[in-house]
Amino acid sequence: MTAQRSARPSNTHKRSIVLPRIRPTRIVAALALAAAGGAAVSQTPSEADLARKLEQLAAELAAVKAQLATLQQQRAAQAAASAPAVPAANAPAPAAETASPAAPATVWSSYGEIVYNRPTNKPENAQADLRRFVLGLQHRFDQKTKLVTELEVEHAVSSSSDPGEVEVEQAYVEHQLGNTWAARGGLFLIPIGLLNENHEPTAFYGVERNFVETAIIPTTWREGGVQMIGQFNNGIAVQTGISTGFDLTKWDATSSEGQESPLGSIHQELALAKARSLSWFGATNWRGVPGLLLGGGVFTGDATHSQATTRARVTLWDLHARWTPGRWDFSALYTRGTISNSAALNAALIGNPTLIPSAFDGQYVQAAYKVWSRQDYALSPFVRWERFNTGKSYADLGPGLTPDPLPTETVWTAGANFQLTPGVVVKADVQRFRRNKDNDRINLGLGWSF
Amino acid sequence: MSSGGPASGVVVTLTTALALAPTAAFAIDYLSADQAAQLMFPQADRFEARTVTFDAEQLRRLEAAAGVSARSARWQVRVAQRAGATLGFVVVDDVIGKFELISYAVGIGADGAIRQVEVLSYRESHGHEIRLPAWRKQFVGKDSSAPLRVGEDIANISGATLSCSHVTEGVKRIVAVIELARQTGALA
Amino acid sequence: MSRIRAATFVFGAALGLVLAGCGGGTAAPEAPAETALSDQAALGELIFRDVSLSASGRQACASCHVESNAHSPDNALPAQFGGTLLDLQGGRSAPSARYLAFNTPFFFDGEGTATGGFFWDGRAASLQGQAREPFLNPVEMANTDAADVVAKLALAPYAGEFKRVFGADIFSRPADAFDRMALALQHYQLEDVEFRPFSSKYDEFLRGKVALSAQEQRGLALFNSPAKGNCAACHPSAKGADGSHPLFTDFTYDNLGLPRNMALARNADPAFFDLGLCARPAGDLAGRPDLCGAFKVPSLRNVARRQVLFHNGAFNSLKTALTFYVQRDTNPQKWYPLKPDGSVDKFNDLPDAYKANVNTTESPYNRRLGDAPALSDAEIDDVIAFLQTLSDGFSP
Repeated sequence: MTAQRSARPSNTHKRSIVLPRIRPTRIVAALALAAAGGAAVSQTPSEADLARKLEQLAAELAAVKAQLATLQQQRAAQAAASAPAVPAANAPAPAAETASPAAPATVWSSYGEIVYNRPTNKPENAQADLRRFVLGLQHRFDQKTKLVTELEVEHAVSSSSDPGEVEVEQAYVEHQLGNTWAARGGLFLIPIGLLNENHEPTAFYGVERNFVETAIIPTTWREGGVQMIGQFNNGIAVQTGISTGFDLTKWDATSSEGQESPLGSIHQELALAKARSLSWFGATNWRGVPGLLLGGGVFTGDATHSQATTRARVTLWDLHARWTPGRWDFSALYTRGTISNSAALNAALIGNPTLIPSAFDGQYVQAAYKVWSRQDYALSPFVRWERFNTGKSYADLGPGLTPDPLPTETVWTAGANFQLTPGVVVKADVQRFRRNKDNDRINLGLGWSF
Repeated sequence: MSSGGPASGVVVTLTTALALAPTAAFAIDYLSADQAAQLMFPQADRFEARTVTFDAEQLRRLEAAAGVSARSARWQVRVAQRAGATLGFVVVDDVIGKFELISYAVGIGADGAIRQVEVLSYRESHGHEIRLPAWRKQFVGKDSSAPLRVGEDIANISGATLSCSHVTEGVKRIVAVIELARQTGALA
Repeated sequence: MSRIRAATFVFGAALGLVLAGCGGGTAAPEAPAETALSDQAALGELIFRDVSLSASGRQACASCHVESNAHSPDNALPAQFGGTLLDLQGGRSAPSARYLAFNTPFFFDGEGTATGGFFWDGRAASLQGQAREPFLNPVEMANTDAADVVAKLALAPYAGEFKRVFGADIFSRPADAFDRMALALQHYQLEDVEFRPFSSKYDEFLRGKVALSAQEQRGLALFNSPAKGNCAACHPSAKGADGSHPLFTDFTYDNLGLPRNMALARNADPAFFDLGLCARPAGDLAGRPDLCGAFKVPSLRNVARRQVLFHNGAFNSLKTALTFYVQRDTNPQKWYPLKPDGSVDKFNDLPDAYKANVNTTESPYNRRLGDAPALSDAEIDDVIAFLQTLSDGFSP
């Protein structure tokens, strides 16, 4: 919102203080005259008086300037003091100095999840894991420019003989160009889906992230590039940009990774990423009515980087909605991905267990209700139905060679999030799989985010 | 702003002039506090700056009644007046959204009901929608009897839950502060 | 603000143009263009073909690694003959010398799998190390020692060139000269593209230039499928993420329980067993009885050019070899002799203590007596049709 309203001049504000006016321009002119005059000619007593008075005025002006600077700082500090810049009680508390809104600040953030899974039909596969531990560091350079970074450790211990991984999830510079537009450059999250940009454990229901947004949309999905973000006064937010994309040349037909998540198995995460071909993405989200979000996005780009016999394009799009009337929280999402020219890429891989699909999709609906709350505690049970297929169709390779489409899996999840405080959540849920009953499980989780 | 000699008077003028002058072409600071005050009480002919101070007992009452922490014992209130009569009160405050400070102003009528909420500056990457009239309108007309809670009578902005919660909590706190100040007679 | 929008669109359009200009292309060729050999490699080429460096005067590297037959033997002998009179039979079949530039010294990988090394038992750490041995092997080129070989080298027509490259006094240091000889052979094998031409029909297919026939495609599918041939588990057939063409070996080792080949003279002694990895002359793997009977997985490139297959030359055709793979356990009586009591003497090329080392868990070795074999007769023909596409020198 711009300050288009006319600003009334200050002297219609009848203040209790009467103000003499000293216009700086007059002083400058006087000083100039003094400098011009005083240097050349020896001074008469009256001129000497004048010179002395001018010097006095100059000194006073300097003092006034100094006081002005001090008072500006005080004013800024006062604005912060009357509402302390660091609320002590339930703070997402920055560890470093945060003085005034204009002062640069370095801010730590973090989120993490510890989960316990117990398959009900295969209890010998029960597992407990520090799923992720993330440290975020934001630094504001000036009013318009800030740096956002995030570092993640998965599965607690990362080494060549341990299952963990350390990765940089975000590292971008954001610069505010004006009221409406901001630009981001670096490694950032792609604005597709509901979970990808908002993936902290306090932001979703259920111990595990939903399958549609892990198997189809490869949360946490980040690419390197440039992005423009526009926020309009009608509640529409537009994000668009150019970034690195996927790499189909690293599709491993012998492993099952491609069946678990086609895009997850070929994402590059800006780690020596092939960048011969860049991808384009765009997303629109409308939040014009409070409590309602409608949006969608698309991401598309060549994924063979002139390194395969044929070009192949990966495209992923989604539509999503979220509605939070009162204590309810409803969300729904549909997403679909396609890979062009997959037949040509599959020709040399026929017979292997995991060929490149030509389409994969997923959808879910979810409902949650805050059934009880007191002070900061809140209990929100939820239920979610999701359906997804990571190999919905395969391009024709010839009789007897074309793989059958993979079966569609349907998962019911029911459980509750219990909020201890806005930054800490305890979760429990039960998941039932339509096809693979070995995966039926009970999950418990603890998460934090600040 | 307290009185002083001519020099400080100069400073006040210059400061005010600066404050009211259009800020930089990009304006994460959308409104100044004074502009917001004028928007909320256009009939006011002056805004008197008052400091309201609570003692420990009053703070306890405040927290018990409002259910939010008092955070500070001293509050700066601008009293909107016309021809000596009190129209209402404007309190300017800052809260942290997720990482950044959000400056906002709450205008409360003489009857204790919220007149308007204005966002003065917003720097977070998400949640700009709290600046939209549609979201701020939810506060209008509410007083200390309303829950003023996200997920109850105040709708959330998807993706900006912390900004919404903290601003809502701040508004609730200010409503309670003004209520208490009126009860104790600190504000006429 | 509109200026910013305009700038954004111009910026975006410019980038779009850049991207649109990125034309399509094919994979980068993985066979390097012909370049002239270095001096050492040129000497290596001459040494490779020089029969005078043998005791018999009639045997060079090229005799068993025949250049016109994909550097493989061009006869059906289970082991080539060598020695002074070319009448001493070797112990194992001569492998192809192609595509070894990608091999590594022997090591155990992160999961403890034996990998790399040259020879059937990986005992040489490099091509240079491998090149030394045939000269001194009594059943091959049969020279008495390094000095013996070097003395013959000094009389070769290219001896002057050898001195120019390695030093005028090189022949006065026979150990060094022998070393340089082996080094020159390594240079030759690494530099000459003939040792890695990637010019088979399958390579052209991977480049998108030619299509496989229906039968060849079926063969490839059976080759890759874990439920059918499962050949790709040890003989990978897929391009690498860096665009490199597959070598059809992972340079690991396997124990197939091959039948004993009585055509090998040394197998006449029933107490003799060629135990492969664990019996390496250096004795470094003597403490690994689980590796007894394991031999290198060779590349399948040019396998159709061979008339003798496996380390002991047990089979002379792809048809019998593939049939053995799928019927070893379903019809063992076809492959092994019968013991006096009438039962099949399975895995008879291994002593009883090591028969448990044979691979019986991976498909297609995991069938039982009377099960259906993993591949039918027609399917084996399909796989053979595919294997024939792996021979270098394809022209459409």
